[in-house]
Amino acid sequence: MDLRGHLECGGLVRAQVALGRYVLRRLIQAVPLLLGISIASFAILRAVPGGPTSVYESNPNITDEDIKRLEHAFGLDQPLPLQYLNWLGQFVTGDWGYSYISHRPVLALIGERLPNTITLMGSVFLTVLVLSLIIGTLTAVKQYSLFDHVVTGATFAFLSTPTFWLGLLLIIVFGLQLRLFPLGGMATLGAPSDIGDRLRHLVLPVATIALVQLGSHVRYLRASMLETINQDYMRTARAKGLGEHIVIARHALKNAAIPYVTVIALDLPELFVGALVTEQIFGWPGMGRLFWDSATRSDYPILMGILAVSSTLIVLANLLADVVYGYLDPRIRFG
Amino acid sequence: MRRTRPLARAIALVVGVGLLVGACAAPAAPAPSASEQPRGGALVFALWQEPESLYPFYATQTVSGLVSDVAVEALIRVDPDGNYLPQLAREVPTLQNGGVKLEGGRMLVTYRLTPDVRWSDGTPFTSADVKFTWQAIMRDPKVVSREGYDKIDEIETPDPVTAVVRYREVYAPYATRFDAIVPKHILENVADVGKSDFVRLPIGTGPFKITEFVAADHITAERNPNYRIKDRPLLDKIIFKSVPSREVAVAQLKAGEVDGMWLLLEAQVPELEKLPEIKILSVLAARLERLEFNLAKPGNPADPSVPHPVLGDLAMRRALLLATPKQQVIDKLLFGKAKPGNSVIALGWAAPKDVVQESYDPQKARQVLDAAGWTPGADGIRSKGAVRASLRISTTTGDRIREQVEQILIDEWRQIGVELTIRNLPSSVLLGTWSGGSPKARGDFDIAMFASTPGLDPHAHLSLGYQCRNIPQESNRGAGSNHSRFCDPQFDRLVDEAGASVDQETRKQLYARAQRIVNENVVKIWVYNNSRIDAFRANVGGYRGNPWTSAVTWSAEDWFVRR
Repeated sequence: MDLRGHLECGGLVRAQVALGRYVLRRLIQAVPLLLGISIASFAILRAVPGGPTSVYESNPNITDEDIKRLEHAFGLDQPLPLQYLNWLGQFVTGDWGYSYISHRPVLALIGERLPNTITLMGSVFLTVLVLSLIIGTLTAVKQYSLFDHVVTGATFAFLSTPTFWLGLLLIIVFGLQLRLFPLGGMATLGAPSDIGDRLRHLVLPVATIALVQLGSHVRYLRASMLETINQDYMRTARAKGLGEHIVIARHALKNAAIPYVTVIALDLPELFVGALVTEQIFGWPGMGRLFWDSATRSDYPILMGILAVSSTLIVLANLLADVVYGYLDPRIRFG
Repeated sequence: MRRTRPLARAIALVVGVGLLVGACAAPAAPAPSASEQPRGGALVFALWQEPESLYPFYATQTVSGLVSDVAVEALIRVDPDGNYLPQLAREVPTLQNGGVKLEGGRMLVTYRLTPDVRWSDGTPFTSADVKFTWQAIMRDPKVVSREGYDKIDEIETPDPVTAVVRYREVYAPYATRFDAIVPKHILENVADVGKSDFVRLPIGTGPFKITEFVAADHITAERNPNYRIKDRPLLDKIIFKSVPSREVAVAQLKAGEVDGMWLLLEAQVPELEKLPEIKILSVLAARLERLEFNLAKPGNPADPSVPHPVLGDLAMRRALLLATPKQQVIDKLLFGKAKPGNSVIALGWAAPKDVVQESYDPQKARQVLDAAGWTPGADGIRSKGAVRASLRISTTTGDRIREQVEQILIDEWRQIGVELTIRNLPSSVLLGTWSGGSPKARGDFDIAMFASTPGLDPHAHLSLGYQCRNIPQESNRGAGSNHSRFCDPQFDRLVDEAGASVDQETRKQLYARAQRIVNENVVKIWVYNNSRIDAFRANVGGYRGNPWTSAVTWSAEDWFVRR
């Protein structure tokens, strides 16, 4: 019997149990946190002046009785705490309510927008991931080179650029003037659907979000790489006679990427939430626009649904980041 | 914005291709002879708002009517001049043709329906659908308005092409009702229309049928093979494309990505007019931008029995009118694409031709104030006794044109010795409800600037907006929209009398007298009458503007596109 193997195995089991307990504790802690967030969201939405029936006010064909009848039909005539509890009770049982405006189920409305947002934000996610790894590594390896200076300047420039301005600029230059890409939407209407057309529609919105995000991500990876490159084990790797490419890729990048993974994990909720401003500018039928349109019409059920899901995802993404970090860096212990 | 659908004759000034067409001419876009109209093809039309629901009784936004109008028809529709035209009815019921009968205090309206009409799914359209439409409105708590339908006792359907509507009282605007008919065979067993597909893919009798609804992306309307009019529609397909804003719609129109777009701002017209590949369609609409005076002392809520310290004086209101340069606002801010307002009802049969507001004359304004005892102080601002002529104006925040109008007013009114300060509010607050605490509804304002669009039948607008009983206050739990707190017994009598008559000529005279009283009291300043402006690529034709329909799509069956 191999005692050493047995011991290691026992250690692994203990670590797994500790991790399990940790995750469970964090999940239990998340419940009051999420309840608090939902109460705050509900309160803030109701504190905003106006309301779902204010759009009817200036219509001469809509009488006060009509408005009272509608408020009753939507349950808006009940006391606010009761309205919240009604919403919560329905939400946890899977009934997310109905839009006040279109009267469609909230789940269906979210369901039809979600694939579009995942397409857009997934493309952004992959683009940013790949480009930031390449550019971040290169700038760190060639620190203070011309390339490094140009990238550093550009990242700061994009980091401080508002997306609405960048998006409009890209539309004007690449859409209107150069006619390289369509001005908005997901596909050319009236034409048979093909993948090339879809990709062309993706380019400008993805570029808008990715350029701004790349700024922070490249900075992050560069800093992390620089720290790693100066570690003792890098010298050891080179002393073993490994080629520079292998040293960078296998030893430096792998270690530098550990803190970066948590940054990436925290980006994951965006796959659901979408991009409020960019979707608006490019007419992308995603979650961001659904939220925006619902907010302008005080469509509480949709807003609450989106806020509840996105806050849950953010809490989960934080937990995921912590867990993954522990896996990748064995020095971290859960307890 | 709301849908206007209504009654008889009106002025429709249409600028098509920069061409001014007068009242009686059928306003038309470049109209080639029938032989050269190309058939078939698809047209892409840009919308910068998302239709909330295509079920006519849930929709409140103009853009929803814009889309559903290509598929859903009315018993009676309105032509660009404001005349009623039969659509699914064979004729417009009137007292003269026996379609309307008065029995004691009750009213019977008999509709003879167009025979051989089919729904787009092929099922015949009958009087049972008319009756069902009424029932659908009355049984569903989520419909936006039951106006008129709640005065119906019963609808009899003696045969498939006759529907007899029994109103329990004389209901003068009867011709504006049944502005959309929905199919019984589809909806009869649907418990909640909101949860059905009908709100997105409505079945109608119109030239097109809605075949695809991709939220926030596009809506496709395809030719209805069962449409009753031969050789119509000309197009095979209209695709309504969702774009995020007017600016994007203009950019896509210029780039040729869309063939037409809905509702431009006046400021966008000069740039597009220069382009030969774009045509502008402009129709004078019933929408009237006004400065609303609060005649009662502001408060939350205001007490209508206590006059406003400054605006309670008719001389002051008249002076402010005289010092308001309407034409300058139109020329400078609206690029001439509007008309100075003159009366409560600006367009249609109920618009009085001879009721006008005094024009800009600041010299006269000063004389009026001098005569009324408002004397200028050291800073040039007038006062009367302890009351200083200082007023607050409120409009919707973020509206650039309105904010510029405020600047003009501050300047102009200061020159006659009246101080104006700004207190703008988000539109949902300013134009909100009594229970929601809107300062306009509750009377906590001096002057409010906003727009309102009376329907072709003026009764609801005049009654709710100006009669004493419609001053919102605690005792009526905030009912009514007489936010000026105007009260004149003679006005009330004239409007009540008009509402009890179904003879259009009689009603027209009474409403004209009532509107004259409003003007004599300078309850509001009618700043300008907007135009409805749409734009198309030059290769599109057949469209006609109509201020009485939701939008230009009322003429969609005649649209064509040359590729």
